[in-house]
Amino acid sequence: MDELTSVFIQESREQLAEMEAGLLRLEQTPDDASGIDTIFRAAHTIKGASGVIECQFIETFMHRVENILDALRNGEADISAALTTLLLECCDHLGSLLDVLAAQASEPSADVAARGEALSEHLEQFLSAIVPTQEPAARTNLAAQDDDGEVESSGGGVVNTDSWHISVRFGPNVMRGGVDPLSLLRYLGGLGEIIGIETVSDGLPPAADMDPESCYLGFEVRLQTKASKADIERVFTFVSDECDLRILPPHSNVADYIRLIQELPEDDMRIGEILVRCGALTQAEVDHGLQAQHEVLLAQGESSGGADTTAASPAPLGAILVDSKVVHKETVEAAIAKQNQVVDKRAREAQLVRVHADKLDKLIDLVGELVIAGASANLLALKSRQTDLVEATSVLSRLVEDIRDSALQLRMVQIGDTFNRFHRVVRDVSKDLGKEIELSISGAETELDKTVVEKIGDPLMHLVRNSLDHGIEPVAVRLERGKPACGRVSLNAYHDSGSIVIEVSDDGGGLNLERIRAKAIERELIQPGDTLSESDIQNLIFEPGFSTVETVSKLSGRGVGMDVVRRNITALRGTVDVASVAGEGATFTIRLPLTLAIIDGFLVGVDKAAYVIPLDSVVECIEHKDISGGRNFLNLRGEPLPFIRLRELFEVGGQAPARESIVVVQFGGQRAGIVVDQLMGEFQTVIKPLGRLFAKLRGIGGSTILGSGEVALILDVAALVNMVSRSEETLLYGHRVASPFALSGSNTVIRGNEH
Amino acid sequence: MSTIMLVDDSATILLSISSILTKAGYSVEKASNSEAALQKFNANVKVDLLITDLNMPGMNGIELIREVRQLPPYKFMPILFLTTESQQAKRQEAKAAGASGWIVKPATADELLNTIKLVLR
Repeated sequence: MDELTSVFIQESREQLAEMEAGLLRLEQTPDDASGIDTIFRAAHTIKGASGVIECQFIETFMHRVENILDALRNGEADISAALTTLLLECCDHLGSLLDVLAAQASEPSADVAARGEALSEHLEQFLSAIVPTQEPAARTNLAAQDDDGEVESSGGGVVNTDSWHISVRFGPNVMRGGVDPLSLLRYLGGLGEIIGIETVSDGLPPAADMDPESCYLGFEVRLQTKASKADIERVFTFVSDECDLRILPPHSNVADYIRLIQELPEDDMRIGEILVRCGALTQAEVDHGLQAQHEVLLAQGESSGGADTTAASPAPLGAILVDSKVVHKETVEAAIAKQNQVVDKRAREAQLVRVHADKLDKLIDLVGELVIAGASANLLALKSRQTDLVEATSVLSRLVEDIRDSALQLRMVQIGDTFNRFHRVVRDVSKDLGKEIELSISGAETELDKTVVEKIGDPLMHLVRNSLDHGIEPVAVRLERGKPACGRVSLNAYHDSGSIVIEVSDDGGGLNLERIRAKAIERELIQPGDTLSESDIQNLIFEPGFSTVETVSKLSGRGVGMDVVRRNITALRGTVDVASVAGEGATFTIRLPLTLAIIDGFLVGVDKAAYVIPLDSVVECIEHKDISGGRNFLNLRGEPLPFIRLRELFEVGGQAPARESIVVVQFGGQRAGIVVDQLMGEFQTVIKPLGRLFAKLRGIGGSTILGSGEVALILDVAALVNMVSRSEETLLYGHRVASPFALSGSNTVIRGNEH
Repeated sequence: MSTIMLVDDSATILLSISSILTKAGYSVEKASNSEAALQKFNANVKVDLLITDLNMPGMNGIELIREVRQLPPYKFMPILFLTTESQQAKRQEAKAAGASGWIVKPATADELLNTIKLVLR
C-alpha cells in the first residue's frame, strides 16, 4: 500500500471515531449546533481526502452522508433518533469500507456493497423529505444570472477580427487581496497570444491622493487563443467581484463593441481611441457606431428604459445574497463562540506529531540501555572515590533520569479515547436488551502506556458487556426495587501508587453469591464444606470454566468467561478484582502498571543475591531486631503487618543477620512486609522479561541487570502481598489445602511456610 | 524558487498536495493547523504563496488568512484556500478576509498548478 493510502486510512479512522462520538453527543444534546459542525467536518474531511486518493466507493458514500449532514447543519432538517441510528450505521459501513481499502481490494464485496446501497437509499429518503423546499429556487437564480453574462450579438456589421477582446478594470483592493494584476495578464498571455494591450490609467488620481497599495488600472486586451470564453473568465474568477470584466468573442458585431464602449466608465470617445489603438476597431467603426447608437437611443427612449430595468433587476438579488451571507456569517460566529472550549481542546489535540510506534520503541529501548549504563558508571564512580567524577556522573544520571521520564511520557496516552468507544457499545447493547442504561465516564484524562491502552480494550469490553447484560436489571425489576429506571454503568480511571486503576461499576443487582457458590460446587471448583469469605466467592467468577448464565447470550456469552479477562490483565502485569453489594451493584477493579518498560526500583539483598522491589509499592522500611517467632506478622504501630521472608521463599542459603530489615509494601489496599538482609537503596531499572521457562514462577515479575553486570530479580509485589495474606489465612484456618480460587502461587506459599 | 506554505488538518491532503508541488519544483512548508502556520509566519519565513484549508479545528482558515494578511511581509502575498463546490458562501468570507483565490477540492494536479501559476508572481 502506498504511503498516501495508509495515511488516509489512519486519518479516516480517527475522523470516524470523531463522527461517532459526535453523533452520540448529539443524541444527548440535540440542540447543540456545534456538535453537528464537528460531525460534518469529520465527514467532510474523509470525503475530501477520499477524493484525493481517488477511492471512488468511499467518496460516493461519504458524499451522500455529507449531504444529509449539511442539511442538518443548515437547520433544514432536525436530528431524530431514527436519523442518528442511520448515521451511526453509516459510520459502521464507512468502517468496513476502510477495511476494504486496507485489504487493498479494489471494490467492496457484494454484501458490503449491498449494505451501502441500502444505507444510501435510506439517506436518500431522509434527504428527499428535506430538500425540495430550498435548493431548486437557488439553482434557477444562479442560472438566470449566468445567462445575463452571455454576450449576445445584436445586429450591425461584424468586426473583422478573429481575436477576443477583453476589457478589464481592476478594483482598488485587488492587490490587498494578494492578486497582482500583472500575474493575471501574464497568465492570460499563456492561454494564447496577446496581440494588443492598452493600459487604461484614467482612474489614477493625482499623485498626492494616490494610495500605492490600491490598484487604479484597467486594460484593454486583444487575445488570440483557442481557449473558450469560460477559460478566459476563469483567469479573472478570483477578482470577479472586484473587477469590471467584459469579454467579446472573435467576430463580434460592431454594435457589441459600441455597447462595450458605452458601458465602460471612461469617456466614450476616449475608450474608442483606446480600442482603436489596441487594434480592436478602426476609427471609422467607432465613430460610426457611436453615432448610430446615439440615434437609436434617442429614438427609442422607452425601450432603453426597459433595458435599464432588466439591467437593474439582478441588483436586488445580489443584495439578497449579500444579506443572507451576512446572516450566515453571524450564526457561524455565534456557534463558534459557544463551542470555544471544545474547539480549544481540539486545537490542542491538533498540535500533534505522528511518530511511528517502532521508532518510539527503539528510543525507549535505547533509553533503557542508557539507564543501565548510567547506573554502571555511577557505581564505578562511587567505587573510585573521586569526588569530581562522582559529581559528574550524578549530574549525568539526573539527566538520564529526565530523559527516561520524557521518553516514557511519549508513550503515555489518555485512556479517554478507549473509554469513549463504550458510549456506542452501551447505546447499542441497551437498545438490544430493551434496558435503559447510561454510561458515565470519569478520569478520562488519566494517562497510561500505549501498549497497555491497546491491550486493555478487550477485557474492558468484556466487563462492560457483562455489566450491561448481567449487572443492570430489566426496567421492571429496577422499578420494583425502587431504583431509577435508567441504569448506570460507570468507567473510572485514576492513579494509585504507581499503578493505574480502572473501575467498571454498575448499579445493578450485584453478584448472586448463592448462585456462584452453587455453580462453583457443581463445577468442582470448591468443596461443599469450604468456608469462603464473601469476596472469595465473588472472585470465583474469574476461575476458568465458570459462567453463571445458563443460556449463552448474544452479548457476553461467547464461550469466553471472566477467566479470559483475568488472563489478559495478568499478562499486562495487572490484577482484576470484583466487589459487589447485593442489590446495589458490582465494581470490577483493574489494576495495571503505568508502564511495562522501566521502573524505579528499590534494591535489597538477601545473602549474595539482589532483588528489586518496585519503588512505587514501597511504603517504608523498618528495622526489626527480633522477628523470629511462630507467627509471620508483627505489630506495626498498632496495626498487624503480615510479612514474608525472602530467604525462606526463595530458599536462599546462608544465615540471616542479627538485624534484618523489613520493607513494607502496599498493593491494592493491603500491606505486607518483606524481610530482607540488607537495603541497598533506590535503583532505576529496565525490566527484562523472564524467559518462557519461568513464566509460571510466582513472586517474580522479571529480571534486570545491575550496573555491576549482575542479575537481579524484580519482585512481583502483587503476588507477594497475596501470598503473605493467604499464608496467614491458611495458618488461621489450619491446613485446608488452598482451593483453586486462591492464586496458583499458594503452593509456593505453603511450602515456604512449612520450611 | 518559490516557497509555498501548505496548511491543512488532513494528513492525506497535506501529503498529496505537497508531493504534487514538490514534483513541480516548488519548495513546500507544511503545517497541520493554523496556529503552527501562524507561528512560522510570525517568524518571517520566506513564503511566496499560502494555500490553506478553511475548515480546521482551532483557528480556522479564514481567521488564519485574516491574521497573515495583517503581517507586513505578507501584505501582498497571494493566498489560496481549499474549498469545495458546495462552500460558495465561505468563499466570499475568505475573500473578504484577504484571500486571493481558491482551489476546488478535489483538484487535479493540473488544476492545482494552473491556479498557483495564476496568482504566483
